[in-house]
Parts: sequence; structure tokens; C-alpha cells
Amino acid sequence: MKKLHLIIGKLYKIKYLTKFKPIFNVVDSIFVGVKDTTDSAPHVVDNLDTKRYMTAVIVALMPATLASIYFFGWKALAIIFVSYAAGGLAEVTFAIIRKKEIHEGFLVTGLIFALVLPPTTPLWVVAVGVIFGTVFGKEMFGGTGRNIFNPALVGRLFITLAFPSIMTTSWLKPFTDAVTSATPLTTFKSMQVVTPFSNLLLGDCTGSMGEIFRLGIIVGGLFLILTKVSNWRIPVSYLGSVFILSWLGNTFLGVKVAPPLFQLFAGGLLFGAMYMATDPVSSPFTKSGKWIFGIGCGIFTFLIRNFSGYVEGVMFSILLMNAFSPLIDHLVIELKYKPVKK
Amino acid sequence: MIKKTLNSPKNYKEMRSIVMIKKRTFSGGYFFKNFTGHPQEKIDNCNIPSKVIIPLKQNFGNEVPSLVKSGDKVKAGQIIGRNDNSFSSPIHSSVSGIVEEVKKINYFKEVISSVFINSEGSQDWQPLKGHNSDWEKLSSEKIEELIYLSGVSKLDNQGIPTRFKSSLISPEEVENLIIHGVGSEIYNLSLPIFLERRRMLNFVEGVKILKKILPKAKLHLAFNKHQQNIIEEISKLLSGLKDIEIYSLEPKYPQGYDEILIPTILNEKFPYGYSAANIGVIILNIQVVLQVYEAVAEGKPLIERTVTLCGSGFKEPVHMKVRIGTPLEFIIQDRTVDNIDLRFIQNSLLTGVVLSDLKLPVNSNFSQIICLPEEKRSQSFAFINPGFKKDSYSNTFLSKFIKVKKILDTNVHGELRPCIFCNYCQEVCPVNLIPHLLFRYVEKEIINQSLMNLKIFNCIGCNLCSYVCPSKIPVAKYIKEGQGKLIDIGYDQTLCILPYFDLKGIEDYRGIKHL
Ligand code: SF4
Ligand code: SF4
Repeated sequence: MKKLHLIIGKLYKIKYLTKFKPIFNVVDSIFVGVKDTTDSAPHVVDNLDTKRYMTAVIVALMPATLASIYFFGWKALAIIFVSYAAGGLAEVTFAIIRKKEIHEGFLVTGLIFALVLPPTTPLWVVAVGVIFGTVFGKEMFGGTGRNIFNPALVGRLFITLAFPSIMTTSWLKPFTDAVTSATPLTTFKSMQVVTPFSNLLLGDCTGSMGEIFRLGIIVGGLFLILTKVSNWRIPVSYLGSVFILSWLGNTFLGVKVAPPLFQLFAGGLLFGAMYMATDPVSSPFTKSGKWIFGIGCGIFTFLIRNFSGYVEGVMFSILLMNAFSPLIDHLVIELKYKPVKK
Repeated sequence: MIKKTLNSPKNYKEMRSIVMIKKRTFSGGYFFKNFTGHPQEKIDNCNIPSKVIIPLKQNFGNEVPSLVKSGDKVKAGQIIGRNDNSFSSPIHSSVSGIVEEVKKINYFKEVISSVFINSEGSQDWQPLKGHNSDWEKLSSEKIEELIYLSGVSKLDNQGIPTRFKSSLISPEEVENLIIHGVGSEIYNLSLPIFLERRRMLNFVEGVKILKKILPKAKLHLAFNKHQQNIIEEISKLLSGLKDIEIYSLEPKYPQGYDEILIPTILNEKFPYGYSAANIGVIILNIQVVLQVYEAVAEGKPLIERTVTLCGSGFKEPVHMKVRIGTPLEFIIQDRTVDNIDLRFIQNSLLTGVVLSDLKLPVNSNFSQIICLPEEKRSQSFAFINPGFKKDSYSNTFLSKFIKVKKILDTNVHGELRPCIFCNYCQEVCPVNLIPHLLFRYVEKEIINQSLMNLKIFNCIGCNLCSYVCPSKIPVAKYIKEGQGKLIDIGYDQTLCILPYFDLKGIEDYRGIKHL
């Protein structure tokens, strides 16, 4: 490893390579690690860094990822690969232009974006989507930490609006090549048929690549919460409010509203609540803000799913609430911290 | 009489009902548990050095003028600096010998006159006049005088009030006295060692002495909740005393801070930026109470201090009794691990300063000398290391699930990154601030009223936010910088607190701050 560090050090010096410093830094930091020591108090610091933080998210996404590869084979692999390659390219380009470091966040964005796509998505659409998401969802705002919206969702929304036919009608049943336009949610809407829970949990149903093996999503989500990487407040309030609302709706409005448990397990709700709504950058940071955010997502998801032309509302609701997050935080802080009189 | 109480457990239950043990804690904070380098359960005596350097300002109080000049012969325990007209307590020679010179030295960012004494090497010291092992026979005046003349009254953040100017407030103004041995730092002195049998009795006597000289004060004793034996024994020994309460506190950092002890124990707001004395509270730690007893009953002036040598940089971390003024290098000698770069730190790993010049002496403010290896080596693939021996606020390291001693070093363990809003800093902040927001304002040079509204001056500088940040942002440093800049452009930090308090001794306090 020392050697590698030396080689990298030499490569720096070659004139026309200096531009690519961010790339070398990444390689260096992955293989070699940091040598710096703290310069003043606190003399010791936590061992966690953002690399490990993002790695934890990737680990949590593993069950869903592996399941998607298992279900859809090379199609899934290719989508994930293209998503990483194109997203990585966008990220690296921006890092070089801005002369900043490459941030680990894109490892997560690249994977999440792939997992929310239908397995039939053409690869060029994948590339367009992820680049759009990275550029307009993140870099336009100034890079990691400044983005208001979840970049993966921005990309996904863009291709849904730009190529609606690809994104909403051609679903693939696992292990088959049969293309259908029916998902558990549309089936319910048209025929009021509830897909069996075992199918929903184990992934034997149509849907986006990563969102159908729901058992794995629950396990991964719990892993994130237990490791403190994601905050429990958002998934709990999001899922809880969807559950309560659909229970109320189902009881008082009748069969037009799907039963609560089915709502929880259908569509992208679990995936969205566990991995996307919890994105710390684009959700509120105050505790009560997180509750409001989760409940807001729940209300919008419930409304869109049951009372609009769309069957799936997770993506829209999270993006919508993302837009409100700064406002929510602002209000919470105004209430909590009384101004000091001058 | 004391023996009798110890040996008669028959009405033990009744006694317990007299001194209630209350459990308390606070929100935020972090448990530092299970690290390598804890001191062993014994106290070693450090030899008498051939030369001591005694700074004429230690702990609470102003610098005092020297009463000796070069060539003078001094005895250990003799007062060599004193000024009854300013806030201060006398300072003693800690060894017998000859004064070499009195000159100014650079000591912890201050320039302080110090007395250099060449010692004869004898262990003896000169006791205070008028001490009495049966201290109950002494009058309050005499006790206060003994405490003042022994120099013990300068210890801890507020000093001990006496009829001399040893603290900001007078003994009658003390409403609450908190004595604590919580041990919430990474390394702590070991309570069982400090309060083993005989010292325990001394401690209890010390508490009674303090009670006598602070007539109006309610007494609050706070201990680490893992030391149940000690808590029970003390509550037995103190039963029958009025106005006393015992608390068992979680050893969660920074529980031992004045700013956190007061809200947890008294349910009162802390006047951030001022001293606990300003609201009539005096906070002392266990060692001080023992020294109060020694001063009054044994006539021992403040010439010694027990410091703990801890951290994995020491071959054998121990507790050590050292004479004040002993140069650090004399204490450390060859106790450290060979052949690696080391860093020496005073008192606390989270907030302490680096001891870069080991020729400087120990003063009465020392409680720990910590030595850690400077870890300049990098670790490959640290982000997927299982981390059996690595500490982290998050649960992403296996050390959270198995009981092993964790390693501490000075490496930063990661690259500087933009804030990812993980919120860890906000969760650990013991005073409920939003550190990442404050840091963002300061970073963007937005220095205005909004920082005041976000209560930037309530930050107690515990540095926990910087500790937990996965993006390795020195959050607490930014906050401190922001405070400085606010003051520079004319904001008054007192605006955050004055409306809530009726502060005592405030003019004096300000005077002292600026000296
Ligand atoms: S240093 Fe200040 S802001 Fe940071 S955790 Fe401590 S009190 Fe809170
Ligand atoms: S701990 Fe660091 S990364 Fe996390 S919210 Fe605070 S400043 Fe941001």
C-alpha cells in the first residue's frame, strides 16, 4: 500500500495529470487511508467517516440489489452498471471542473437510482436519467450537502415525465420475459384484487427492480436504523401515517381505498420510506421537522394513490416534501429558539 | 462514633430513608466506555524532584505577589505568595530548599511569575498552625482561616468561599454545594481508590466541615451510578445530616461539567458564560473535599495533588501523588512506550490542551496527564474494517456489540467532507443546540442576530460535536470562532442570560475575567 501511495504521489506531479487530482485522491483514500492527526482538542475523534457511512447504506441495499439480480439476471446487472458508470462520470467531471474532492454520496445515488427503475428500462434511458439527476438534482445546487432534492428521485421523475410509456406500462414479472402493464396497485385500482402478501414480501410480483423483495428492504431498513445511519423518525411517521390514513379510508370510504396492510406492502412505499425519504441531506434535520416530513409524505402518498389518476405516489410525495423541508426546519427553529432581545 | 455507624447495620433501612438516592441524567451526551489505557487501581508516590517551579497563579484567583526572593530558604508548606486584597488564595512552596529565582514563564497561554526552588529532597512539610484532628472543636472562623491558609480554597472553578477573598461570593451566599465524582470523561480517576476505607471516612468528615462553614448551603453529592457500593456507604455514613441529597448519575460525557451538573441536579438554568458561583452554587470534586479535610484536621497545605497518568502511551497507567511544581518530564520520565511519537494532553481528551513543553510544572489544576500515540500511519480499507476495537457514536462498528477494550489514537480517521446532515452533532449536544447550523452560518460568514437567536453563547465547548462528526468538520471550533466574531462586532453575550438571573458577585467576576 505504501508503494501505491508513492506511485500516486508521483502521478500527481506529471503536469497534464494534475487536473485529475480528485480521481487520484479517491484511489489514495480508499487504498491507503488518511495519515492526518487532530490538530487540537478534541484530540481523539470518532472512527466513522463518510465512506463507511455510505458503505453502510450500500450494505443495507444489498438484499434488494441481490434479489433484483436474482430475479432479472443480466438486465438488472446492466442497469446497475450503467447507472454507476454514467453517474460516476458526471460526478467526476464536476469534481474536476470544480477542483473539489469526489464525494462518496454518489455510490448510494447510483445504486438507488438503478433500483427504482423498471427492469425493462433501456440502458440509454438509465444513463440519461442518472446524469440528469446528478447534474440537476445535486450539482446545480452546489454539490453534496447542498441539494434540496434527492438526486435519484430527480432523475427518476425526469425520465418518468420524459418517457412515460417506458416507465409506467412495461413491467416484467420475475423470471419471465412477459411484459405486462399490471402492478399490484393497478390491479387493485381496476379490479379491487389484493395481491397475496407472500408474493409481495418475497418479490413474486411486478414492480421496480429493487422494490419488490420487500422482506430484504425491511431487513435493510432496520439495519440502517439500528446502526443509527438513518433516523427512525421518518420511516415510522411515513409508514405510520399511510397505515392510519388507509385504515380510516378503508373503514369509512369502503373498498375504493385499499386496505392498510396492502398499502404498506405494495408499490415503492417501503423502499421509499426506508432509503429515500431518510436521505439526511434532503429531509429536515430537526426532530419535529422529521415527524412533519414523514407525516406529510404519508398524506401525499395516500392522496395520490387513492384519489388521483396515478397509482404510485411515493416518488412525488417525497420530492414534494423535499421542497418543503427547508421551510419546515425554518418554522421549527423559529418556534424552538425564541429571539434574543437586543 | 464513625466506626459505630459503619458496624451497625441493624437500623440500616431507616437510615436509608433519611438520605434518598436520586437517579438523574440529561439529554444528549455520549458514553465513553471501555478504552485501553485506564489507570491501575493504585496510587504511587512520585519522588521529590531536585527543582520545582511554582506558578503564582493557579486555579481560581488572580496572580499573587511573591513573598520570597532568590537565595531565600523555604520550607515545604511555607506560604510564598499571598494577597489578601484581591481574589486569590495563598500559594505554598511544595518542597524545602532554596529559592533560585522568581521569573515570568509562559504557562498555558499566560505569562505568570513563578518561583523556582532547588529542593533538598526531603519529604517533610510544615503543618498549618491551629489544625485539630477533632475539628468539631474549632470555630467556623478558624476553619475558614485554615482552608484559606492551606491554599485549598483556590481549587476548582469557583474556589471555596471563606471570609477571605477566596471566591466570588461569601460563605453565606452559597445556596447549594455540589460535590461530584461522576467520571464522565474518557479517562477518569478511580473512585474506589480515592474513597477506599480510611479516605472514605476523611471524605465524610470533609463534607461535614464544608457544611459547617457554608451554613445556608444545601448539599448535593453526585456519584457515578456504577459505584453503587460507594453510594450506599456514603449514604449510610451521612445519615442524620440535614439538607443533604445523594444522586446517582449516568457517567455520560459531559455530565461532570458545571454547566450540566446544575441543570441535572438542581433543575436550574445555568448562566452560560458566567460561573456557577454567580447563582450561588459551588461545585467541588472528591479530591478537593479530601484536601479540605487534610487541611483542617491534619494541617496539610496544598502542596500535593494526585494526578492520573493514563492513555495507551504509558507503559503502566497509574495514579500518582506529585508535589505541585514538579516538572512534567520528571513525572513522566521513562514511563512511556518507546520508539513512537507521543502526544501529552492535560486533563481531558475532548477539551484539554497539548502539553508541548514538558519542562513546565504541574499546578493544582492538573488531574490527569494523558499520553496517546500519534497515529500517523494510515489504514487501508478502514471503511470496511469490522472495527472490533474502534469507538464510534454510530453502531457501524462491531465494538458496539462485543466487549473489548477500544483503542484511542490521534488519527482523524477520514477525509474532510461537506456536512451530510447526519444530525449526530445535534443528538449529542448536551445543551440542545444545532451545531451544524451554527457552523454553517459561521462558515459562510453570516455573523448576525440569527446566531444569537440560535443561542450560540450557550455552547459549553464540550467538543462532542466535533468528536462525532463523520465528515470530520471541526464544528466546535467554528462555533467558538463565531462567538469571538460576534463579540468583536459588539454583541453582548450576556443578553442571552441576564434576563433570567439575579447574579451574584457579577462585577467582580467580570473584573477577574479581564485581568
Ligand atoms: S461543543 Fe457546544 S455545540 Fe458542540 S456539542 Fe458541545 S455544547 Fe453542543
Ligand atoms: S455531525 Fe457533521 S456531518 Fe453530521 S450533521 Fe453534524 S456537522 Fe453535519
